[in-house]
Formats: sequence, structure tokens, C-alpha cells
Amino acid sequence: MLAASLKGLSERKLRTALTAFAVVLGVALISGTYILTDTISRTFDGVFTQVTKGIDVSITPRKAFNDTNQGGSPPAFPASVLDRAKAVPGVERAAGGVFDQASVIGKDGDRVGAQSTPNFVASDEPAPFNPFRYVQGRAPSAPDEVAIDRKTVSDEGWKLGDRVKVLGRSAARTYTLVGVAKFGDLNSVAGAGIAVLTLPEAQRVLDKVGRFDSIDVKAAPGVAPAQLAERLRRALPGSVTVRTGTEQARQDSKDVKEGFDFIKVLLLVFAGVALFVGAFMIFNTFSITIAQRTRELSILRTLGASRRQVLWAVVGEALVVGFAASVVGLFAGIGLAPALEALFKAVGAELPSGGTVIEARTVVVSLVVGTLVTLLASVAPAARATRVAPIEGVREGATLAPGRAARLKTPAAIALSLLGVALLLFGVLGGHSGGAALGPIGGGAALLFLGVALVSSKLVKPLSTGIGNPLESAFGVTGQLARENAIRNPGRTAGTSAALMVGLALVIFVTIFAAGLRHSIDQAIGKSVTAPLVVENKDGWSLIPGSTAAAVGRVEGVSGTSSIRLAPGKVAGAGSTDGITGIDPATFSQLFHLEWKKGSDSTARALTDTGALASESWASSHDKHVGDRIVVRTQSGREVPLTITGTYKNNAHSLGDLTVTNPVMERDFAQRQAQYILVGTKPGADVGQVKAQVERVLDARYPTAEIVTKDGFKDTQTKWVNGILSFFYVLLSLAVIVSLLGIVNTLVLAIYERTREIGMIRALGGSRRQVKRIVRYESVITALIGATLGTVLGIFFAIVASRPLASEGFSLSFPVGTLLLLLVLAAVAGMVAAIGPARRAARLDVLKAVAYE
Amino acid sequence: MDAPLIVSAVDVHRRFGQGETAVNALDGVTVGFPKGQFTAIMGPSGSGKSTLMHILAGLDRPTSGSVAVDGVELPELDDRRLTQLRRDKLGFIFQFFNLLPILTAEENITLPMRLAGRKPDPAWLDELIAKVGLADRRKHKPSELSGGQQQRVAVARALLTRPAVVFADEPTGNLDSKASEEVLQLLRGAVDDYGQTVVMVTHDPSAASFADRIVVLKDGKVVSEGPAGDRSQVVDLMREVA
Repeated sequence: MLAASLKGLSERKLRTALTAFAVVLGVALISGTYILTDTISRTFDGVFTQVTKGIDVSITPRKAFNDTNQGGSPPAFPASVLDRAKAVPGVERAAGGVFDQASVIGKDGDRVGAQSTPNFVASDEPAPFNPFRYVQGRAPSAPDEVAIDRKTVSDEGWKLGDRVKVLGRSAARTYTLVGVAKFGDLNSVAGAGIAVLTLPEAQRVLDKVGRFDSIDVKAAPGVAPAQLAERLRRALPGSVTVRTGTEQARQDSKDVKEGFDFIKVLLLVFAGVALFVGAFMIFNTFSITIAQRTRELSILRTLGASRRQVLWAVVGEALVVGFAASVVGLFAGIGLAPALEALFKAVGAELPSGGTVIEARTVVVSLVVGTLVTLLASVAPAARATRVAPIEGVREGATLAPGRAARLKTPAAIALSLLGVALLLFGVLGGHSGGAALGPIGGGAALLFLGVALVSSKLVKPLSTGIGNPLESAFGVTGQLARENAIRNPGRTAGTSAALMVGLALVIFVTIFAAGLRHSIDQAIGKSVTAPLVVENKDGWSLIPGSTAAAVGRVEGVSGTSSIRLAPGKVAGAGSTDGITGIDPATFSQLFHLEWKKGSDSTARALTDTGALASESWASSHDKHVGDRIVVRTQSGREVPLTITGTYKNNAHSLGDLTVTNPVMERDFAQRQAQYILVGTKPGADVGQVKAQVERVLDARYPTAEIVTKDGFKDTQTKWVNGILSFFYVLLSLAVIVSLLGIVNTLVLAIYERTREIGMIRALGGSRRQVKRIVRYESVITALIGATLGTVLGIFFAIVASRPLASEGFSLSFPVGTLLLLLVLAAVAGMVAAIGPARRAARLDVLKAVAYE
Repeated sequence: MDAPLIVSAVDVHRRFGQGETAVNALDGVTVGFPKGQFTAIMGPSGSGKSTLMHILAGLDRPTSGSVAVDGVELPELDDRRLTQLRRDKLGFIFQFFNLLPILTAEENITLPMRLAGRKPDPAWLDELIAKVGLADRRKHKPSELSGGQQQRVAVARALLTRPAVVFADEPTGNLDSKASEEVLQLLRGAVDDYGQTVVMVTHDPSAASFADRIVVLKDGKVVSEGPAGDRSQVVDLMREVA
């Protein structure tokens, strides 16, 4: 029977190839993702092992808690730790260093590298500890000298001796380029620009005078690193972590890799979507071919083939297709990995890579998943094939009797849909934290898709009529024939359009959600920011030096400034927070309108260094009220007692869960940088002129900062939404492409079935063009059914997903224009999918179609 | 025999395949079909009768020779013009797959006109539908009609455009004798009442006896041409040429 399967495959090359392609795409995305992320991991493992080679023990700050918020760099520890370390017996050498985010200013006056990659300043370290290798020049030895990573130097076209500006926690300063550095073997670390300065200068620039971010230790001969680490651990305060060099390399690599983990998860989710859509296509293709082969199967049964053999003939075909496609997909992944890398590069995340790492896991997962998906999708059609009775099917035009399962189909489909909705709601509203909610949400969405796909065969007729009637009015008989063709086999049309429905529902979901995000941020800024001008980092999210505010405040026409700062914090007995905001109480209320729940603008003005304001949502979920005393733990482990004096509504997360004064930010949270600075203008001052003057000051001293109007601020704060949206579009387009291939496949199969009908239409005077139109319009109808269902589901998903965010000021906004455009695009995609099949139909030899043996 | 010819073929050859294995399906056929007459093309299997009809109807092209329908030379036409000719001047009735299963009886009848972008004359449509006895079956799908009814729909469809000639390819090949008789009576009536020209390919002597003339083909050549006569005369004729 396997021989029969194989023969069947080779005879239907096009169909097989199209079906296989759906699997190839999904599997390629899986293997490409693994290959890319494994290659990155291997690269980082190698680099960190290499750069910590001379380090026996490494001392780093201990974070009081893990946070995922911005604004928290690990708290540096006092330089005195170095002296205590040096006093420990067995320490031959020890040196302290600093390393933190800063900006290297490129020729365009902005930070070097991509917008989303940070820059760093590192202190030069003595010989055995230095991670940098100088490929040109030397290490900096004077306060006005700098060495820069090789990638940045070549990107900017700098030469030794050039003057380069570096900006840290205070105004920018100009340095002479004396060295070009490699980080281990890498030209750069993930595309981040790095400036190496002398230790005192790096400490000054990073505002860490008298403090270190790390101490590297070399053990005396005969002292094992582990042993020395143990001694140091006992001798040093609890605010530092002591690791051997090997442990540190592993830790560093792990930290960096964790940053990339979301990439892996994200890409695998999209691979899953593509395969899910592919499964629809496989199911559909197998269903149609089995219907067409009823006669052949019946003859096999008449000749003595058992049901089991028929089942295996079909399943065997699926196995062969699935496995072959998975193998091709696995290898296609090798080619896809660089493309994915380029995609990330396009959105600004440069990933280091060298060589191609193919783990056994990649091979196994790719082959198993691809084959399994194909197999699962073919089970139902295979089961149906076994119901072909001997002789019965030999009759001309025999169709399969619906099985017992058919009667249960609609109730089952409705049950599936409801279960999907329930899971979805459970996932979204169940109050799970991040990852835990993904399972029920993904599973719920998949079940809902399946349920709707099954139910949709009942919707094909009304939808086709709704879409087809205008086509008939516009194009006459060809429109009518297209509509009737779409209706004649509702299950088939439903299955084909369901694949497109899945991709489109997700596209529409992210579109609506993104529009909602933009709208909410716009609204929140519109309502809350009353300052005419805002100073922020050019990238829209990085911090700017705290001293920027004072410099801007001195500009003619500026009435006052108010800095907004951000730091991570944890409240004792109340879990983590969404960040702590720092404000200047004296000027805040003049430039920012807070939607008060308890309190008023005077509450803000009266905020002292022992008081805090709390967001309503945080306060109510942790049962905190005005007058309550709380203790906030900082990243360095400091405990800050505060009393809540007021509560506010935190629209679109423009502030953190708690708000304190900037002096508290500085004293306890060591946060001297600003997230953004609100700038007020004097009555009568020309805002444009003030802006231009501030610009001059910023360009000269704070080149990474920019001043924008309130509307400009809205733009920069919503820009990232567009970036992420395009990224999602690119990945979702894979699923949409698979579903279009599904349309092509169904059309080709249908045309094969209708050879005689098409020949008859041609004999009766139908032109090639009319035949093409019939195929094309059927494709458009199919695509629009998918698009309509996809739009409904996409809107549903968006509404569900936005429910829990409503309390945070998230309001849905429907980009009607974009949604209509997507419908038009779906129709166009239908046309495109029909090009090949339509041409095939038009080329049919009339004579072959009407003549019979 | 004085009626003008509406369809004529002169020295038509049709070769299938190439070289050694080539088959001459038509080997120098010269034949004419007078206007307003019912002609049956007969011949044993493989005689080339279907090939001749396909070429006369512009569904296939001769290897050499000329074919003219209503004054138009077919071999000179490109696909677009041939399509137009079929649409405007020809009517077709096939043995199988005559109707689109997705259209109603009436929609099937009007299909060629609608493909041509024209509206049928409602009175003529009603008359035809009444004539083929389907007045109460207009809205039925083919699957709801008997084989004879389906074939009567095809007859009405072929006549609706008042074509220069109706080609019928074994129109009764798939029907029982009663249904066959009804269909042939309809074709006969179209010739007698409306002066319709009909060319029918058949191997059934009873069917051929409804025609005015019979053209007999054998091995790609015309071996006999003359008046039809009744069934026994046709049977004798066939025996004679065989």
C-alpha cells in the first residue's frame, strides 16, 4: 500500500508540492529560530569564557530583587570593598572597574548604533582582567583619551586621533580616539557601542566616583579559585556577589541570553501559527483528494484491500509528505536564520553570530513537529477514506455518505468554540502573570479558530451570497458562476477560507491593539502633560542626565522645568511594583495634570521626602490607603519608610505605581537621571523660539537629548508601537502566505474536478477571459469569507485582551480605514492566489474537456 | 439538395500524433450541410465522425483543408474569434455533462446568451421552455431532473440563440428509447418549424432515421452521402458500407 501512496504522490506533483510547502515554511521558522538562538548562545558562551580567562574570582553588586523595568542599573558598591578584598589572603591582584549605559555620539550628532541598542562606557582594566583586545592603537591612559569598539569605529569611519564625544550622567565631553577594541573576538557586543575610558574618567562620566560595578581578582599561585571565592565571600559584605571566573562567565552569558529568550519564544509562537494554518491546508487538500479518489479507493476495496490498508495508504502519504517537507524545512531554516537576523537588525536589535549551530534538539523538534502536524491533519480525511465501500464508489459521480460524526459536527464545533472562548477569558481575566496566561490564551484561541472553522461551512452560503451578489450585479454570469461554485462545496470553501481567517484574525488583532495603544498613549499625554515642551532622549526611552534640567532651566523664556525619574522598587509585604516615579513637587503640578483619586494638586506640592503618592490600581489591589505607612526596598537593598498621602489614576502607565520626590530618588534609589523633563514657558514667550534655544543647549552639551512639543512627544512615545507592529506583520505574513497557498491548492483541485464543465462553458461561447474571471471571483469570495470571519474574530480578541487594561486607561480604538484596507488587500490576495489556477483553467483544451472516450 | 450550404468542409485532413504512430483520423473529407436540414453523421467507432464534428464546430483544427460556417473560414480564426463564433452562430448538445450542476434549468438555457452579454427574448424563451415541456421545471437544478429532461434543457439551450447550426454529439447515447424519441422529435421539430439547421453525430440507426440526410464516414473518408429514409433503410445502408 505504501507503494500506492508513493505513486499517488508523484502523480500529483503540484498539489503535493503546495501542501508540503505549508509544512516547509512552518518547520523552517522553527529550525531557523533554534539555529539563530543557538548560534547566539554559543557565541556569547565563547566570548564570555574568553574574556574572563584571566579572572579567578569576580565580585559584582548583588541586586536586592530582580526587576524587568527600565531605569535600574545594578547598584555600584563602595570602593572600600576593593581594599577589603585585597586584604584577603590568597589574593594576588585585584582591580575594580565600572561599566554602565552611556552614549557615544556619532557623526550625526546622535548616539551610535541602532535606536534600540544601548551604548556603554567601560573602564580600562589592567592586563590579566581586560576583556578588550586592541586591534589598533592602545588603551586610554589620560582622562581625555578613549578607545572604542571596532564595529562602531568602522561604522562611523573614525580614525585614530579623531575627536569623539561621550555622554554619561553629566554633560558630554570630547575625547581623542587612541584605540580600536574588540570584545574578546567580537567586533561589538550585540551591536552596542562601547567607549573605554580610564577608570577615574569612567567613574566620573558614569557618576560612580568612589564606587565600582565589579572587582576582578587573580588568585596567588596554589590557591584554587573556588577556595579563594569562599574566603572572599566570608570577608566581604552581603551587598556583593562573589563568583569564580567560570561561574561569572556562565552568569554573564546567561544574563545576556535571557534578554534574547523572548525572541525565541516569539518566533516559535509565529512558527506555531504558520503550522496551525498549514494544518488547515493539509486537511483540506487531503479531504478534497480523497473525495476525488473515491472511485480509485473503491476499486482498491473491491480488489480486496481492507479498511486498514486504505487508512494506511492515506496516512502513509501524509507521513511521506510530512517527513519530506520537514527535512526540507529543517534545511531551509539554515537559510532562514540569517533572514531572521536581518529582520531583527531592521528593528534595531543586532545579534552577534558566527557560524551555524545545529543542535540535535533542532533536528528532532523540526522533524517531529512537521511530521506530526501533517499526520494529525490527515487523520480525519483518512478515516473518511475508509468508509468508501467496495463497488459503491465505482459508480459514476458517487459521493461519500456522511458518517456518524457528521451529525455531531455542528454541536461539536459550537462546543469547541465555547470552550475556546472560556479558556481565552480564563487566560486573560484569570489574573495570571505573564507566561502562565500564554497557555490558556494560545490554546483558547486555537480551539476557537477550530470551532469557527467547523461552524463556518454553515456560514459559507450566506457569506458567499452577500459577497457574490454584488459580483453578479457587476460582472453578470461569471460572478454568478463564481458564487455558485463557492457554495457548491461549503465544507471545502470553509476549510480554505478558515486558514486565511486565522492569519487575518491575528493581523487584525495586533492592528486594533496597536491602534488602541497609540490612542491610549496619545490620550494620556494629551490629558496629563500640560507643559508645552518636553525634553527626552532621542530614542524616546533611554534616560538623560539629571543635570540637563538645570541647563534647560537657565534658557531664556523657560519658566520652569520638572524632571520625571524612574527606578525599580519593591514594597515590603506587597510584592513588586511597576516602578517608582520621582517628581519635583514644587513644579510638577504646573506642568503635569494628575487625575486624582484622593488628594489634589496641593497634595503633590506638599509631598515631602517621607511621603509617597500611589496609583489607584496598585493601592486597591494591595489594600493600601492614604495614611498607610509602607517600606520600599531599593535595588541596593536599602529600605525607605514612606507614608501614602494621595492616590491617582495611572493613565497608560505614564507614571509608576508609586511616586516619590526626586531627592528621595537620588538619596535612596541612586537615580540621578531623568526619564523626561517637562518644560514650561514664560507667559508671552514664543514656544518655537524657546524650543530652538533649548535645542542649541542640548546639541552642545546633551546631544542624546531632544526637545519636542507636546504633540511631538505623543509621536515619539507611540513610535515604538509602529515598529513592533511592522515586526508582527512580517511574521504573520508567513501564515497569510500559507493560507493563500491553500486557496491556490483548492482552486487547482476544483478546476481539475470541473474540467468538463469548464470545457462546456468554453464550447458554449465562454471566452478564456470569462473562465479566468469565474476562477478569480471564486477565489475572491473565498478570501473575503476568510477575511470577514478573521475580522470578527480579530475584533473579538482585541476586545477580550483589552478588558484587563481598561483600568489603566487603555481604550480601544478601531482603525476603520486600516480594517477596510485589510479587507481590500484580502480580496487582492485572493486575485493573486487565483492567477495560476485561472490561467490553468483558461488554457484547458476545450476538446479534451468535452470529448470522451 | 438545392438548399445553400451553411457548413462546408473541403479536403479536410486531421492527423493525430507524429511519425510512425501518426493516425489519420480524417483523410480528405469533403462534405456540405444544406441550410434548414437535419443531417446525421454516422460511422463505426474510429471512423472519424466525432473528429469531423469537432472540426466543423471549431472545437478542433484541421491539419489541412478548409472549413466554412455561415460564410466564415474557421481555420483562419484565432481562439478569441472562434469563441465568438461558437457563441453567436453555433449551438451544442453533448452526450454527457451537458449542464452546469450549479445552475437551474432556466439559467442553463440562458447561459450562452449571458456569456455573450445578451439578454434572451422572454417570449422566445417561454416558447422554447414550453416546447421542451419544462415549464414547471424552470427553477430546478439538473440533479432534480431526469436524464431526458436534462437533455431537453440542452436542446432548448442550443436553440435559444437561433444559431446558424446546432451540433449534437450522440445526444441520445445516454437515454432510454422513450427519452431518445422525445429529444429527436424536438430536433426534428426545430428543423421543420423554425428552419433550424442540425448536424448530429450518432451510431444509432433509429436516431439517424429522424434526419433528412445521412453522411457515412469510414476510416476518415466519406463513403456515402444521401437521403436518410426509415430505420431499416439506414440499417441496410450501414451494412452496405461496412
